[in-house]
Amino acid sequence: MREQLAALREEGLAEVASAQNGEQLAAVEVALLGRSGRLTALLKGVGRLAAEERPLIGKLANEVKAALSQSLAAKQEELAAAELAQDLAGVGLDPTLPGPPAPFGAVHPVMQAARDLEDHFSSLGYVIWDGPEVESEANNFDALNIPADHPARESHDTIWMAEDTGPERFCLRTHTSPVQVRALRELGAPLRVVAPGRVFRQEAQDATHEHSFHQMEGLVVDKGVGVPHMLHAMNSLLEGVFGRKLETRLRPGFFPFVEPGFELDARCPFCKAGCRVCKGTRWIELMPGGLVHPHVLRSAGVNPNEYSGFAFGLGLSRIAMLRSNIDDIRWMMSGDLRFLRQFPS
Amino acid sequence: MKISLRWLQEFVDLSDLTAEQVGELLSLHVAEVDEIETVGTAIQDVVVGEVVECGQHPDADKLSVTKVNYGAEEEVPVVCGAPNVRKGLKIAFAPVGSRLPGDFKIKKAKLRGQASWGMICSARELELSDEHDGIIELDSNASVGQSLLEHLDMSDHVFELDNKSLTHRPDLWGHYGFAREFATLRQQALKPNGVQQDWPAQQSNWTIVREDDDACPAYAALEIHLPSVPGESPAWVQQRLLALDQRPVSLLVDLSNLVMLELGQPTHAFDADRLQGNTITVRPAQSGERLTTLDEVERVLEPTDQVIADGGQAIALAGVMGGAATEVGDSTTRILLESAAFHAVGVRRTAQRLALRSEASARFEKSLDPGLAVQALHRYVELLQSIVPEAQVAQAPSLSGCFQAPERTIAFDPVAAAQLLGIAVGAKEQKRMLEDLGFVIDDSTSTWQVHVPSWRATKDVTSTVDLVEEVGRVSGYHRIEAAPLLAPIVVPAQESHRLLARRLLQRAVQTHGSGETQGYSFLADEWAERLGLAMTDFVRLGNPVQAGVTLMRHDPLPTLLEQAASNLREFPSGSLCEVAKGYHPSAEGPVESRYLGLVQWAPKETALEGPESLFGQLRTLTADLLQVAQLPQSQVTPLCAEDGDLPWAHPVHGLQWKRGDHLVATMARVHPALARELDFRKHQVACVLLDLSALAELDRPAVVFQAPSKFPGIKVDVALSLPQAVACADAEAALRKAGGKLLDSLLLFDLYQGEGLEEGHRSLAYRAVLRAPDRTLSDKEEQKFLDKATKAALELGGQVRG
Ligand SMILES: [Zn+2]
Repeated sequence: MREQLAALREEGLAEVASAQNGEQLAAVEVALLGRSGRLTALLKGVGRLAAEERPLIGKLANEVKAALSQSLAAKQEELAAAELAQDLAGVGLDPTLPGPPAPFGAVHPVMQAARDLEDHFSSLGYVIWDGPEVESEANNFDALNIPADHPARESHDTIWMAEDTGPERFCLRTHTSPVQVRALRELGAPLRVVAPGRVFRQEAQDATHEHSFHQMEGLVVDKGVGVPHMLHAMNSLLEGVFGRKLETRLRPGFFPFVEPGFELDARCPFCKAGCRVCKGTRWIELMPGGLVHPHVLRSAGVNPNEYSGFAFGLGLSRIAMLRSNIDDIRWMMSGDLRFLRQFPS
Repeated sequence: MKISLRWLQEFVDLSDLTAEQVGELLSLHVAEVDEIETVGTAIQDVVVGEVVECGQHPDADKLSVTKVNYGAEEEVPVVCGAPNVRKGLKIAFAPVGSRLPGDFKIKKAKLRGQASWGMICSARELELSDEHDGIIELDSNASVGQSLLEHLDMSDHVFELDNKSLTHRPDLWGHYGFAREFATLRQQALKPNGVQQDWPAQQSNWTIVREDDDACPAYAALEIHLPSVPGESPAWVQQRLLALDQRPVSLLVDLSNLVMLELGQPTHAFDADRLQGNTITVRPAQSGERLTTLDEVERVLEPTDQVIADGGQAIALAGVMGGAATEVGDSTTRILLESAAFHAVGVRRTAQRLALRSEASARFEKSLDPGLAVQALHRYVELLQSIVPEAQVAQAPSLSGCFQAPERTIAFDPVAAAQLLGIAVGAKEQKRMLEDLGFVIDDSTSTWQVHVPSWRATKDVTSTVDLVEEVGRVSGYHRIEAAPLLAPIVVPAQESHRLLARRLLQRAVQTHGSGETQGYSFLADEWAERLGLAMTDFVRLGNPVQAGVTLMRHDPLPTLLEQAASNLREFPSGSLCEVAKGYHPSAEGPVESRYLGLVQWAPKETALEGPESLFGQLRTLTADLLQVAQLPQSQVTPLCAEDGDLPWAHPVHGLQWKRGDHLVATMARVHPALARELDFRKHQVACVLLDLSALAELDRPAVVFQAPSKFPGIKVDVALSLPQAVACADAEAALRKAGGKLLDSLLLFDLYQGEGLEEGHRSLAYRAVLRAPDRTLSDKEEQKFLDKATKAALELGGQVRG
């Protein structure tokens, strides 16, 4: 038994020493000291020994076990240190290897523009309001002071619904302006509201023309509201869109639902001396607007002698195109992932 | 609309301004200038020359060999083919190196062996007129070497304005209206437009009958006699017309155009000798009536068109174009000059119907001031007599109708106007501006009574705010300083569906990698038919943008499928989604609903079932989105064919989520036969549709937090061998029941079919985690769960695998 223990010790120490890695070492440990390892197997013979020998062999076995355990622990540390050293040496590590591809979600650039502007106006206390794309003639034209014989109502400008669509005439809204009237009727004055949405025109498509595109309408109605307030709202909006203050100017413009009507030009944000976008003029026409026509207020049930207001419009598709230098509006409705994936969020 | 600076200066002094400054005044106070054109740049290289020698070309009958002096050091040889070239003639000469219209560059050349260093030009070559029978013959006192532009005194600038920005201003369709604007802006006197003529005392020979006072509120006719056929207009008239893109025709026609460009009022000269009788009738056309217009096109008319007729037949299309048969020609010495007012919409409809937009119709459709009709007669006669002094007005004009816009007086408060505009402009200044524009003001009370002049009263200025605009734009909008709103903010109401759509879309894009797109709101009939949609159930367009695209979509899926198919070549797998509105017809009109649609595709080899499959991914996505929508406890059931309305879906491979009776979400693989037909030959494709309108209506309880248990859970793996027909959802429900309150989570981690299983069975392996909030679970409790699971498996016709 003594010899056997001595042999186990020698062989065990040699096996521990020869272990190359943690796995091998663990296997060695199990083989030597495990529940069904060699030491346990050997000690099963203790019962057959003489009584006076037993304590001696027990002591010896403990010594062997301690020696092996110690050696195992030392080896473990040695291996861990070696592993750490190797890891830190970085051999074969290439930090430039790619990870798995991330899901490439994309948010449509027009919707991004809408989202950013909605956030901007929400922070200024505006309601975001929606209206239907299929709109009644009464809301799209009559309520907005557009005369019954106005050319905009004719079929070469407006897409009308079939005759049997309902009890009145319906069209695809030609602007987001009917939401002015809808929101006022529903929410009453005073009111601050913006309405983003899709609008439609009977129009042949090319790089700059689409029959379906997006606008955003803004409306403020309150007591004592005038042009200075409109100008302020427009300026702050442009600051939101372009991320900096732009010099602006108002010019006369004509739209039946405002009076007086304006066009707001901004200093071209893309050049210092004229470029393709501003056609060399250093000004770009960005936003129509004006004081809400009394007819519109009356249509919405608001007394124009008590309240006044301003309204402005913004081409969301145009803003998105300007922001990202998109030179052909037809990309917008293409559903082409090569286009969409360039706008991750 | 084109406006000549030179012409404006006849009525108002702008000599201290550059063309750019004039353009800016127009843009900032009147209407936007699109472009400023410098007249004559195309011929700026051409100079006055003199033919100093002229002889026959030795080898060509029709060519002459000349020497030209054009002010350079040496005279140059020039070969010329014009019949009228001769020695001593002053000519328009283009020397070597100069450019002519059409970017044509003059080079040294040889013509039949003779050197030719330059070109002697005809009027047509310089785009001065159509004349090309010979070269231009300049005055004999023209000074050699002077630029032709200077010699002809042609230099001018032309402002181009977008017609759309002038539609509301009937007074701005001629130069005189613009001159009035400048006079007001610059506080200058506006020179009168010519002098009033003294009409002969003799009454007109002509009787005018207007059948419809609305269609033609006023008609004037004036007979004029000429000593001889007048022929071409003098050069200044031609140049003036050419500068504004009008083709000179003959003096009598050119003067009509000149008056129109100046005043905005179209007139028309009939050859009086070609008219039958002495009565001019303005009446609706008869159905099918024919009239050949000046452009030699025979027009078939309808009763909605108005015609001018003489004793025999229609002689003009009212407000649009004269007739060919009564046109002034090379024998005309007696004209009847028409100057009238026509109904704007009627003229527009006729011009549109016949696709015949003329300069006249473009103006009449703006509701011109009827007062202009008489003024135009005066101006025409004045101009004609300045060129042909012997021209005689035969009788007084025949006038029928009311030559004045309706009287209109508007109440106006200058203090309120200044406040609304945010411009510090005093009452006195406002009064001056309005009066300069022609308004007549009674300011005896603090609220003024403002009388609108006839040229602004037809439709433009109707209420107080219109006057506010006049004060504003004359003052200059640059005087407005921005001011923030000071009113308190009312907490804004919100529309729940908008916020929901935004949250869901963000999740679909950011977590699930879908690409948000925008699709058209309309569908092609053919596409809807291919998808098997019921064609009777659509809101339809009356005048679609494209033939055959007549349907309003119900939801975004059809357009998403179309867009997905167009991406297949570049993207073997991908995902598109859209938040969109959909329409269904109803007796009250179209009913609008809002949807989130999503279409995802993957290569055909992708698994049909399980976590890796397209279907599995979309199921996870749908359930995840519904969770984001905080939809409490919805039931998911397989799609069944009886639910109909989904003709594009696989008959069984689909799911629907309901909340009570509300169907809130549907997802399904596209029917494989249809997928193939829609070009998904090598792909699987599946769709998800969430009804945002329905989801937004549901109450969404706030999440209630539950503290995690401090005690460890036990993982128990259990594999059920079950007949194929048993749905996974049923197996899962059975295990959930077996776990009861202790079941913390349940996950299917393996699906197996094949060896070692009973025929027709499959194995579903679940990992259950059991946990109690208040204690560590015992082995007994684990065993109890396993026993219940075993019993459940038996009930489902299978067993727990060992
Ligand atoms: Zn620029």
